[in-house]
Amino acid sequence: MGEVTIGWYVALSATLFTIGALGVLLRRNAIIIFMSIELMLNAANLTFVAFARHLNDLNGQVIVFFVITVAAAEVAVGLALIVAIFRSKNSINIDELHMLKG
Amino acid sequence: MGNPIVFIILAAIALASALGMLLSRNAVHSALFLVLNFSTIGVLFLVLNAPFLFVTQITIYAGAIMVLFLFVVMLLGAERLGGRGVEVGSWQVPVSIILALILLVTFGYVLLNGGDPAGMTGEPAIASGPREIGLTLFETYLFPFELASVLLLVAMVGVVVLRTKRGKDG
Amino acid sequence: MNAFGLAPLIIFIPAAGFLFNALFGRRFVDSDRKVGERWSGWVAAGAALSSFVIAVMLAASLVANDFEAVTVTILDWITIPAANFSVSWAIQVDTLAVTMMLVVAGVGSLIHIYAIGYMHGDPDFSRFFAYMNMFIFFMLILVSANNYLMLFVGWEGVGLCSYLLIGFWFDRIDEKKKPMNANAARKAFVVNRVGDFGMILALILLFWAFGSLDFDAVFHSAEEIFRSGHEISLFGTEVSIGLVLTAVTALFLVGAAGKSAQIPLYVWLPDAMAGPTPVSALIHAATMVTAGVYLIVRSNILYEIVRASGETLPLIGISSPALVAITGAATALLAGLIAFTQFDVKKVLAYSTISQLGFMIAAAGMGAYVAAMFHLIVHAFFKALLFLGSGNVIHGMEHGHHHLSEHGEESEHDGDFDPQDMRNMGGLRHRMKTTFVVFTIGALALAGVVPLAGFWSKDEILAHAEFNRQIGVEIALILAAICTAFYMGRQLSMVFLRKPRTEAASHASESPRLMTWTLIVLAALTILGGLLNVPFFSTGAARLAEEAHDLGLNLELEQWLEHSLLSLELEKADGLVDVPNTPLSVDFSVAGISTVVALAALGLALFVVYRNRPATAEDPDPLQKTPIWWFSVLPLNTLYYRTIVPAFNATASWLAHTVDWRFWHDWFHDRVIRDGYVALAHFIDKTIDMAIIDNGLVNGSARAARWCAFQLRRTQTGYIRNYALAVFLGVIVLVVYIIFVAN
Repeated sequence: MGEVTIGWYVALSATLFTIGALGVLLRRNAIIIFMSIELMLNAANLTFVAFARHLNDLNGQVIVFFVITVAAAEVAVGLALIVAIFRSKNSINIDELHMLKG
Repeated sequence: MGNPIVFIILAAIALASALGMLLSRNAVHSALFLVLNFSTIGVLFLVLNAPFLFVTQITIYAGAIMVLFLFVVMLLGAERLGGRGVEVGSWQVPVSIILALILLVTFGYVLLNGGDPAGMTGEPAIASGPREIGLTLFETYLFPFELASVLLLVAMVGVVVLRTKRGKDG
Repeated sequence: MNAFGLAPLIIFIPAAGFLFNALFGRRFVDSDRKVGERWSGWVAAGAALSSFVIAVMLAASLVANDFEAVTVTILDWITIPAANFSVSWAIQVDTLAVTMMLVVAGVGSLIHIYAIGYMHGDPDFSRFFAYMNMFIFFMLILVSANNYLMLFVGWEGVGLCSYLLIGFWFDRIDEKKKPMNANAARKAFVVNRVGDFGMILALILLFWAFGSLDFDAVFHSAEEIFRSGHEISLFGTEVSIGLVLTAVTALFLVGAAGKSAQIPLYVWLPDAMAGPTPVSALIHAATMVTAGVYLIVRSNILYEIVRASGETLPLIGISSPALVAITGAATALLAGLIAFTQFDVKKVLAYSTISQLGFMIAAAGMGAYVAAMFHLIVHAFFKALLFLGSGNVIHGMEHGHHHLSEHGEESEHDGDFDPQDMRNMGGLRHRMKTTFVVFTIGALALAGVVPLAGFWSKDEILAHAEFNRQIGVEIALILAAICTAFYMGRQLSMVFLRKPRTEAASHASESPRLMTWTLIVLAALTILGGLLNVPFFSTGAARLAEEAHDLGLNLELEQWLEHSLLSLELEKADGLVDVPNTPLSVDFSVAGISTVVALAALGLALFVVYRNRPATAEDPDPLQKTPIWWFSVLPLNTLYYRTIVPAFNATASWLAHTVDWRFWHDWFHDRVIRDGYVALAHFIDKTIDMAIIDNGLVNGSARAARWCAFQLRRTQTGYIRNYALAVFLGVIVLVVYIIFVAN
């Protein structure tokens, strides 16, 4: 099998990212979509850390730190929004949120 | 670390949990799958010589964020809301899958034609413990750090505002 | 003395007077009658007097300048470089023009002063003086012009003033409810117009032949062409200058016939007596009617060339100048005969004017230009005198009539009492002594009694005719002179002598001093006027005159005018020569005959025919039973109304109805132009505007935009997942591009 190269990590990241993208595109439940977004972010984080190890650069890990922070803030606000929407529409089926239809 | 076995096991678990999250009908199940996924990624961080991030991942991602998700799921009774998946245009599903395949092919191309096969063996060349991260954070990235704290403040305020905006619904 | 720079003022001061009276006169007069009249009238008279003073100064300047003519340009009027044609408004100060200016301004001033008294109390006082000043303005333009076009401007202007002044009391209607004054004014204008038509044709011919209308240019050019024997090319054919000038001079005769009341265009002058008497005196005796004579005298070169070339008019076979002379003589005789039969005191004088104008025109036609001018000057004096005298008489009769009706006495013809009818007058020499004296002086001068002015001038014309063996003209003129004496005697008798025939006449009063005083001045001029051109026979006075002439002083009109009337050293085809001013035995014979004849006629009228009749107002005129009375119905008026006028009306009516209305209006305008235009508009409207532009372009672009928007709107589904897919698609495209293409 040989050594674990950076390529393996990148492949894993790519696959996880693609799965997350599919989740965003295909699921109706707003919360599941959010979770898919988080999955995508994590895939990116994995890439950063892998390259930090590969290039022996600490900056990669620092970026991940910030990404995690931002993700946390985003989740808080997003979930509050979903709750607020649920209050008025009693549903979190995003297909019912088409009031911006042109 | 160059142990392929470890990597393969971890990768398998990560992929499986991701697919489980995607395909699960029950929102709670999806959340739990995601928790597993995050934990696996954390372990991968550890393998990649990022202990601090491993801890951070477990604490914040798997611990705080996913718990928050579960709270909301329970609150809204979303476990029952699964449904089928697609109602919005029958072309959404095929197009999405095609696009995802294109993305994977692109990644494959990059992998096979670029990249540096060597380099992940041996001992890590630099130290990457909390001490080093902290130093970098407070010296080079002080400003972004402060901004990030402001961002968190803004998020808190926003959440509170969103909750109390409409008195009658609130 | 050099007053040439003042020349433009001679024209502009009367213009200023006109403006004053036109703009402010009414206010002055209406506010305070007495003071206002004084201001209005004396401003006008002052303007005329100023013109006279300037004319005198110009005469003196001419003397100092050795009688060389001077041209003072006021402005350049028309300039057409392409046609090499330019006309400027310039004043030609030469002896002929200055002579006319002196007459116009001098006699005009006296008449203005007279009119201040005559028009007293008239509600349109200031309008009258405005028109009078305007007339002086135009008349001076006429006589001072240095080219035919400016002359024509003045010509038309005085015609307009004549119309305005004849119809001055335009709202007066006679017993048949016809506006007689307005009709008379219109008749004058229209008949004048016929003459003007001839003038315009003449001007056009002159321009075509010579390329210019300036006197100097035309005269020099004509003389050169004649001497060199070249021909003028008109419309591509070569014509001799004699032929061209024959046409021009004949057309000038037409114009002069209109303006100076010759056959057959004299019919307006008797009717023009409807205007106020000062107007009759100024315009229709002294000045305007002499414009025709002035025109012919000014164009003397052209007439001489025609005479020398021997060209004759087609169909008649006489030369153009001969036609002029014959017309003048015939008019003189005919008008003289008609004057016998008139009862209106002013109409007698009107026909007398026509007759005397005939004398002047005949003289000019024979080539006696100096004689014509001489007669013009003296005629202005005594005819103005006679007219103003008759004005006094009329005024007196009106006062008498008012006096009677105020006192409640019934007078005979109360409703339509005509103060101008001579049958109502009589015996006025006791009531109006001054007027009687001056009127008699004027009448005798007109009749040609020596040594008054009329004798010398009329005599010169007759002498000229005799000397050049123009027998027909001479006989006609002598007969006319006889008539003149006769009807003046008749007038004197009926108006002043014997006993008053009506109550009004017996209560007539003399006119105020202002009016009589001017008449005295005119009478003096009449008496002394003959001296202007008296042929001094071999007397000591003759030698005196010769010596004065050697010293450079010109005492005689002939020598004064010589400088303007360029005499041609031509051998005239019919051998006419100027009458030399030396003692001739021939002179005596003519002078003798004419004096005897005049006195005889006068005596006949005064003491034989009209001695005691008509005794009362209803008494018929003694001549009414004789064949001479037929001349009262002869006037061409009736002929006109029976033949020419209906034919003209019929033609005009046909043209108006058929050609203008039915063809032009109805068919052409309505069908062709209107319907065609409407169809075009329809086409443009429906097809082009509505279909293509509105629907196609404007609406079409809107529809296209809407269709695009509609199609594009379909991407805005409102579904989040669709948007997410779009974003994902964009990302994929970018990534593929970066990886595969941009590497």
